[in-house]
Amino acid sequence: MLGQHHMLAPREDSMDDRIPTIITYEQYFEEMPCYLSVHGRDFRIIDANRRVRTDFGERIIGDFCYRVYKQREDVCENCPVEMTFTDGKSHSNEQLLLTRHGKQRHVLVHTTPFCCDEGGNIVSVMEMLTVIDEFKRLQNLLQRSQEHFAQLFEEVPCYISVQGQDLMIRNANRRFRETFGPAVGNYCYKVYKHREEPCLVCAARLTLEDGQCRSTEEVVTSAAGERINVLATTAPIFNSEGKPEAVIEMSADITEIRQLQSQLTSIGLLVGSISHGIKGLLMGLDGGIYLVNSGFASDDRARIERGWEMVQRNVDRIRSMVMDILYYAKDRELSLVDVNPAELFADLENGLQKKASDIDTELTIDVAPDAGTFAGDAMAVRAVLLNIVENSLDACRADRRKDQHFVRVNVGREPPFMTFDVEDNGIGMDRETREKIFSLFFTSKGIKGTGLGLFIANKIVGKHGGRIDVSSEPQRGSRFLVRFPLEARPSVPLVDEPSACEQ
Amino acid sequence: MVDDDRDTAFYLSVLLEDKGYEVRAAEDEVEALSQLEEFPADTVIMDVLMPGRSGLDLLVKLRSSPRWSNLMVIVVTGNDRVLEDYGKSYLSFHKGIRGPDAVLGKPVDAEALLRLLDT
Repeated sequence: MLGQHHMLAPREDSMDDRIPTIITYEQYFEEMPCYLSVHGRDFRIIDANRRVRTDFGERIIGDFCYRVYKQREDVCENCPVEMTFTDGKSHSNEQLLLTRHGKQRHVLVHTTPFCCDEGGNIVSVMEMLTVIDEFKRLQNLLQRSQEHFAQLFEEVPCYISVQGQDLMIRNANRRFRETFGPAVGNYCYKVYKHREEPCLVCAARLTLEDGQCRSTEEVVTSAAGERINVLATTAPIFNSEGKPEAVIEMSADITEIRQLQSQLTSIGLLVGSISHGIKGLLMGLDGGIYLVNSGFASDDRARIERGWEMVQRNVDRIRSMVMDILYYAKDRELSLVDVNPAELFADLENGLQKKASDIDTELTIDVAPDAGTFAGDAMAVRAVLLNIVENSLDACRADRRKDQHFVRVNVGREPPFMTFDVEDNGIGMDRETREKIFSLFFTSKGIKGTGLGLFIANKIVGKHGGRIDVSSEPQRGSRFLVRFPLEARPSVPLVDEPSACEQ
Repeated sequence: MVDDDRDTAFYLSVLLEDKGYEVRAAEDEVEALSQLEEFPADTVIMDVLMPGRSGLDLLVKLRSSPRWSNLMVIVVTGNDRVLEDYGKSYLSFHKGIRGPDAVLGKPVDAEALLRLLDT
């Protein structure tokens, strides 16, 4: 039996005479690079190899395996030796051992029935235990890595999605799901572009084909219908053969940056543009002040009056300029109320009539008795009308060919609109000017200002869902027809689409 | 004084008359030239951008005519570029034309203008 040397005859199939003739299986048992032990039904160790004795003690033969291996006083749960004794089959599982030096060892345990008695009952079970400490360590590391990356993936404040060859989303992070809705299993072009087919230029597809990273700027749509500007970067995920099998897409939200950029550019343009107008204004103020002061000094009443009038006129211009700039700097949403044109003009009439008489222009404002009211933002509508009537007055002032000037304002109700018809016989505009008047910072020399007034007026009318039609002839005069819808209309005007048309 | 802005023209005229100068005001190039026929001006003060023809056009006309080529010309402008290069970039199209004698930015510094005229 075991524990004794066996002298075996040299193997008949050995080809080399120099192979040692004494080969004992005991040596195999002893030298196996793992723990080997044989256990009886009572869990006592019948035999154990050198490694076991080295790590668990010399005097373990006959001791309980659970005490030797684990320093326990009772049988372990899911003991594979016990299972093998019970069903006669091999078993394996993982266990944690404690060496005699107090070190922990993770092991993979395999058990197999060893010896049977004459009745076929298993008498002993052999147990092989392989140390898997390193394996366990790597396993833990891998798991922690995976958890770490999963967290990164989920929590990064970008939209991340992984698409397969068919552009179906396989994985999406939290931010993506929160913004675009349930994503996995849906096509990317459907989920964030709301398209029925792939985009014409698809960075993801290109990356899947050539394995190159790409950055593109896109406009995507959230589940709530909001448009978002993103900078999207695609990177390939390679399979084990080194071919791209999926693509990861990471998108950073740059909507706010683009808006700020657009505003900054505009403000830059604005500053450049108004500087000219402001210089003229300051000149007017300097002049008025000089006239007033020298008028007081020489007791020249006429001069004082002329000077003071200049000051007032230029202060008014500054006021409109500042209001234009402030409005421009902060684009507000409309707050709709019932606007009554008759009341509105009653309010504005005094100021406008004074301006008109200063420049010998006849101003008539006629609101039809049945005009009623319309839905509008009171302050914004007021700004529009003021701007257009003042423009007409300026046109009359700039025109030196005619003696008699007039500006006629007619307000009427023409469903579905409230119409404001402003006609003048001022300097008029040529076609080129007419086409440019609603663009940003356009200002012709005859009309002094920021170049914002008509642009803003146009925007306001557009926001209401209305329109401005212009007709004009150089030297003859101009006519502005402004229409506001009677009922509130939701409008989403694009930045570059003016609501003004030529007639 | 050539300026289409009536306020500016009035202000500067009054200012200069108060100091003892005789001033005629014109609103554009045509009027300016017709007034020069009758009024023996020593100096022309002109704005740069006016409807019709640019003020620098008037400058070119003055410099090319034997009668007025020696008039002192002061340009008053709100345009940064003209202020910086003395109208050279505009005048580069005209060979051999002497630029303005002085360029003042708007709003005009009254003291500076008076100093120029004193010389």
